[in-house]
Amino acid sequence: MEELRVKRKWAWPPRLPKWRYRERVNFRIGMLFLLPWTIGFLAFTLYPMVASFIYSFSIYHARAPLEWVGLQNYIGLFKDDLFWKSLFNTLYMVAIGVPITLLASFFCAVLLNLKVRGQAIYRVIYFLPSIVPTVASAILWLWILNPQTGILNTLLGYIGIQGPNWMSNPAWSKPGLILLGMWGMGSTIVIYLSGLQDVPTHLLEAAELDGANWWQRLWNITVPMVSPITLFNLITGVITMFQYFAQAYVFRGSHGLGYPLNSTLFYSVYLYQNAFLWLKMGYASAMAWVLFIVILVCTLLLLKVSERFTYYAG
Amino acid sequence: MKRKNFWLFVSFLLISSMLLASCGNKPAAPSLLRVWIQWGDNPQQIQTLFDKYTAETGIKVEVTAPLEEDKILPTLIGSDPPDILVLSGGDRVKSYFHEGLVEELSSAVKTGKIDLNDFFAAPLDQCKMGDKILCLPWGTDMYALFWNKDMFEAAGLDPNTPPATMEQLAEFADKLTKVNADGTIEQLGFLPDQAWGHSDLYVHMFGGFWYNDDGTQLTANSQPMIDALTWQQQFYTNYGADAVLALSSGWADAYMSPDYPFYTGKLAMYVDGEWMTGPNFISAFKPEASYGVAPFPPPAAHPERANTAVVQGTVAVIPANAANKDASAKLLAWMMSPAIVAEEFCFNANLPTSKIAAQDPCFTSNPKFKVFVDLMASPNAKYIITTPITSELYDAMTPLEEEVLHTGADPKPLLEALQAEFEPKLEEALK
Repeated sequence: MEELRVKRKWAWPPRLPKWRYRERVNFRIGMLFLLPWTIGFLAFTLYPMVASFIYSFSIYHARAPLEWVGLQNYIGLFKDDLFWKSLFNTLYMVAIGVPITLLASFFCAVLLNLKVRGQAIYRVIYFLPSIVPTVASAILWLWILNPQTGILNTLLGYIGIQGPNWMSNPAWSKPGLILLGMWGMGSTIVIYLSGLQDVPTHLLEAAELDGANWWQRLWNITVPMVSPITLFNLITGVITMFQYFAQAYVFRGSHGLGYPLNSTLFYSVYLYQNAFLWLKMGYASAMAWVLFIVILVCTLLLLKVSERFTYYAG
Repeated sequence: MKRKNFWLFVSFLLISSMLLASCGNKPAAPSLLRVWIQWGDNPQQIQTLFDKYTAETGIKVEVTAPLEEDKILPTLIGSDPPDILVLSGGDRVKSYFHEGLVEELSSAVKTGKIDLNDFFAAPLDQCKMGDKILCLPWGTDMYALFWNKDMFEAAGLDPNTPPATMEQLAEFADKLTKVNADGTIEQLGFLPDQAWGHSDLYVHMFGGFWYNDDGTQLTANSQPMIDALTWQQQFYTNYGADAVLALSSGWADAYMSPDYPFYTGKLAMYVDGEWMTGPNFISAFKPEASYGVAPFPPPAAHPERANTAVVQGTVAVIPANAANKDASAKLLAWMMSPAIVAEEFCFNANLPTSKIAAQDPCFTSNPKFKVFVDLMASPNAKYIITTPITSELYDAMTPLEEEVLHTGADPKPLLEALQAEFEPKLEEALK
């Protein structure tokens, strides 16, 4: 036992196990292949993370040493109305945008899974918007949501509904952005489709023989069987939504960030404003770390809660 | 062992030659200079302009344009910035100087023998901080009133007579606005913040600004500020802000298209810049448009404020980390020479900042463009006072302006709150 402990002791440089010549060569080649990623990770991920952590406790000056201020940036955040506003806007998108998008993509996937003529074409049609670049789709939607000449309000007008001022009314700007997001839900649909292919047909057939209707089969068999996919889409959706930026940046058109009335001032947008427009790099770094913690807590909570609703067959 | 010594010797030679190369008192003349420009719809044209510098001096100039907003700060902080950076506006220059990111240009002005007397006062003043020169204006913009003559005629107004006072402008706007029976608006007489806000112009018309003259105090809650917002508010509240927004939402995005409301007969009067009178806008999208341009009218009680206009526009800076400041200064001087200013801004239909360049027929032959040239020479031409907090203040003022105009909120308490929030920030920044 004692001998084992001695052998496990850390030593530097680490002793490589006694490998054969070929194994040693393979190991070195493997490390060589890993090197670009390792350098990239150290330089572009680990270093910026550590640096931003240090900046978050200081006032950043571009050409002068950091001014250490302890927790001042973090305390300042909690007193900043725009911080809370941006957090609220982001949580709105997470709490409303993510579930609606998930629900819509699940039902689209179910429909696209039906054995009908032209199934492949329908799938392509639904997937296509997701490969349109974000900026292009945001500009397109600026036109779709135009209250007077946009196609959406024109269609609503045909059924007697007067569409709102989507992009100039603070109550409608976020729903407008959610609609834009739903237009690009093709990749979520594809992931759901792959899950739907795995739902055992014998279970569906057995249920059908037992007299279960379409809804009962969907609710009692399909939904539980794709619950791991739902969890995956939910977590990635939540993480993406917490970092919502590009669409809001483009969607303001020629107005200021957050237009109208700071209703589209999302967390990442406010962070960007602090860092790159107001030169408050320390404050922005503190915001980034708060966001990291919020996302981490949400993800862990979702994983914990998911134990109740996720079914892993086998 | 011998082999090891050999490599040590080679390394020593390499390092010592590099050190010797970097120890020279005077940097050698560069073979390449880099100019990064924040704006630029036609980068090829700008490159062709700078190729003339190469032809004159043998020094190649590489132009990068347009430069995205978020690249500017990393560019200035980095160790390899361009030799000259041209910004779309001067509002952040003082913040950059405060952080030590841009060079004070007095010595560059001397090195390049730049004649400061050739600059129009207003654009040059925006670059000054006390006796320091932080940037040099390279072309600029001014704003005036545009009116659609056909719409004036249809409303029974003299198409050749623009409103003479701000009060008359509001009267004209009312005559030019058509509201449908269902409350929707058919056409608007005037929109004070079409495409973007112009509070800087209106507040000057009411005799003030949001800073005092030397930029050491914030005056966001002053009476002129309240008056400027209240005056603008009427153009929304008189017809219902929602109805105005329903009509005008999306107008700003049609700016460079034939669907722009000023061409399509939806908007009779608005404030815009000199470039609209050049070849790339109205002439390109609606050549047959019948319109007029005049200085924005003053309030009836203050005729002495006639020909008030605000300068906003391009400025050039030398980054503090620029490798060869003498070479930057010489290139800057070349950029500021009247012939180059005339060529570049004639092409873009922007105002030249050089008085000599402004005499070029390119700027004086078009009577509509000349309105702006005359405005720049007016004693009432103003520049926007900036401070290190300007950018943050703007971003707070924009939603405030929206709230007053688009929701009918009382501007006074909002401006009081703004003053209370930003007064200590300015104090801190100016320490």
